Amino acid sequence: MVSKHFTVINAQGFHMRPATDFANAMGKYGCRVTIKHNGRDVDGKSLMNIIAACIKVGSEIDVVCDGEGEAEALAEAAAMIENGFGE
Amino acid sequence: MLKGVAASDGIGIGNVLLIEETSLEYTPHAVEDTAAETRRFHEAVEVFVKNTEKQAENLTKTAGEKEAKIMLGHISMIKDPYMQGEIEKQIQGGSCAEAALENMCDMFIGVFSAAEDDFTRQRAADVRDVKAGMLAILLGVNVVDLTAAAPGTIIVARELTPSMTAGIDRDNIVGIITETGGKTSHSAILARALEIPAVLSVENVTKTFKDGEKVIVDGKAGLVIENPTAADITEYTAKREEFLAEKSELEMFRNKKTLNADGTEYELFCNIGKPEDAVKAVECDGEGVGLFRTEFLFMDRNSLPNENEQFEAYKKAVMVLKGKPLIIRTLDIGGDKEIPYLGLEKEENPFMGYRAIRYCLGNKDLFKTQIRAILRASVYGDIRIMFPLVTCVEEVRHGKTLVEECKAELKAQGKGFNNDIKIGIMTETAASAAIADLLAKECDFFSIGTNDLTGYTMSCDRGNSKVSYLYSHFQPAVLRMIEKIIKSAAENGIPVGMCGEAAADPMLVPLLISFGLTEFSVSPVSVLKVRKEIAKWTKRDADALRDYVMTLHTQSEIVEYIKSKL
Repeated sequence: MVSKHFTVINAQGFHMRPATDFANAMGKYGCRVTIKHNGRDVDGKSLMNIIAACIKVGSEIDVVCDGEGEAEALAEAAAMIENGFGE
Repeated sequence: MLKGVAASDGIGIGNVLLIEETSLEYTPHAVEDTAAETRRFHEAVEVFVKNTEKQAENLTKTAGEKEAKIMLGHISMIKDPYMQGEIEKQIQGGSCAEAALENMCDMFIGVFSAAEDDFTRQRAADVRDVKAGMLAILLGVNVVDLTAAAPGTIIVARELTPSMTAGIDRDNIVGIITETGGKTSHSAILARALEIPAVLSVENVTKTFKDGEKVIVDGKAGLVIENPTAADITEYTAKREEFLAEKSELEMFRNKKTLNADGTEYELFCNIGKPEDAVKAVECDGEGVGLFRTEFLFMDRNSLPNENEQFEAYKKAVMVLKGKPLIIRTLDIGGDKEIPYLGLEKEENPFMGYRAIRYCLGNKDLFKTQIRAILRASVYGDIRIMFPLVTCVEEVRHGKTLVEECKAELKAQGKGFNNDIKIGIMTETAASAAIADLLAKECDFFSIGTNDLTGYTMSCDRGNSKVSYLYSHFQPAVLRMIEKIIKSAAENGIPVGMCGEAAADPMLVPLLISFGLTEFSVSPVSVLKVRKEIAKWTKRDADALRDYVMTLHTQSEIVEYIKSKL
């Protein structure tokens, strides 16, 4: 299991497009992907659950990847979040 | 006459086409062959994906790529692994595909609708659209098809869904009326992208209107006129032609320089409040950003934004502008704003209190974090720094000293920045106008903030209805302040802009030209209008107007006189 802490920097947080891109990217990996936000565990492969979590700019989150390809999955997640989803 | 939300500008006169929601009712039944039912569900998903891709393709042509992305988002929703997994589980438990789908969609509609932020709440409309589309496929009923609508059609629907708009032919649909939706709903965004006049949130329209009925949609005023008389139709036909003529006239000013009638060039910038608004500034043909308010970075959160986060936001905005200027106003915050984590004390008189540059100079760490972020972003384009609410020379000097400190810190860390970054001030206080000649020697530019300048000069709160009659930039006192600021800038050879609402006022434009303003900064939607206004005036005509206006003694005389000359 690997995990990393992030502060969400893009202005609109995990809105429709970033959430879609994130869920689709994580869907490629065999491992479980969990976003820890406000004391809740959010399925990082589920667009619907990510939207429901209301992750905004400035939110503190942990991304936890557990299983096959966990290191690669976390690296890709980090690249997306730290890059502000290319906004 | 019915009142609603004015969501998309323009006038539409036509006949009602009532969009009745297709009945998607079914009787939930227990399923025995769960494998076959699961297959049926997945087949429906495939059809849904294919339909949606086709709709997105149509929408790319009519409304643009951004709108088409909304449709593609619907595909991601139905393909959501969690959602599919739960639906499969319910089917395996004996539920029919329709009920399983509806259950899950309704669950998310409930969660999204209860969210605090507007963005998440609006996603509920997307889930409803997905649900309706999927149910229609599963039940084998036809969904609304607008491709065959006759010319001169006004759509009346409960809600304009993205899948509906995908079939819209702009030559035939002349107006849209809905029962739900606000200015930022999908319905509104789509209507604007399609440039179809729309009035939203008009109560009970789907029940009161009949197919074929004549109706007028006024998307500017947010009005719907039922059973229009011949006189109504004449009036609105004229309004419609006027709107279209004005629109095409404004389009002639797109991608042009901003020139007065003599050919003197001006800068025409935009005021923005978020990095993504920079996109709008460019789309609206702004030549840069004359005021980037940075408060958004500090609001709606629990802690201060760090240097990196701010850097990313400024970088994002300046990259969008591709070399065009970006004037960043440092934090303008005070006791009137609710930012709990700053622990700002409530003040008796926040507008005269500890705020803006005063607060920033007193909270050096916070201020320097912002300045470092701005400096770091300055390597990506033409960024300039602007201090708000300056009242004396010391404030400018103190602010500039801190900028130099930040530069030294960044240099020590090996981080890049534009060493020649321009530093200016908002001239928005009576004091800054009075000593504009002194301040001009300390700054690289001025930008007149007319909203505060008018309020401080007239000592009046425009929100207070008992005194708001005093609030006008045509008060002789305010005009003299503006003239003094502009003249002082010119005498010292520095550029001077205006970033308040007043810069877009056609009646003020000639006076600003005569005073010698060099830059206008307005909201993105006003860019073309202001460019057109500037083009009307020669310096000579503007001077003649100014010379007479400045001899007048009252605001009403001034307003009346300028009106007579336009």
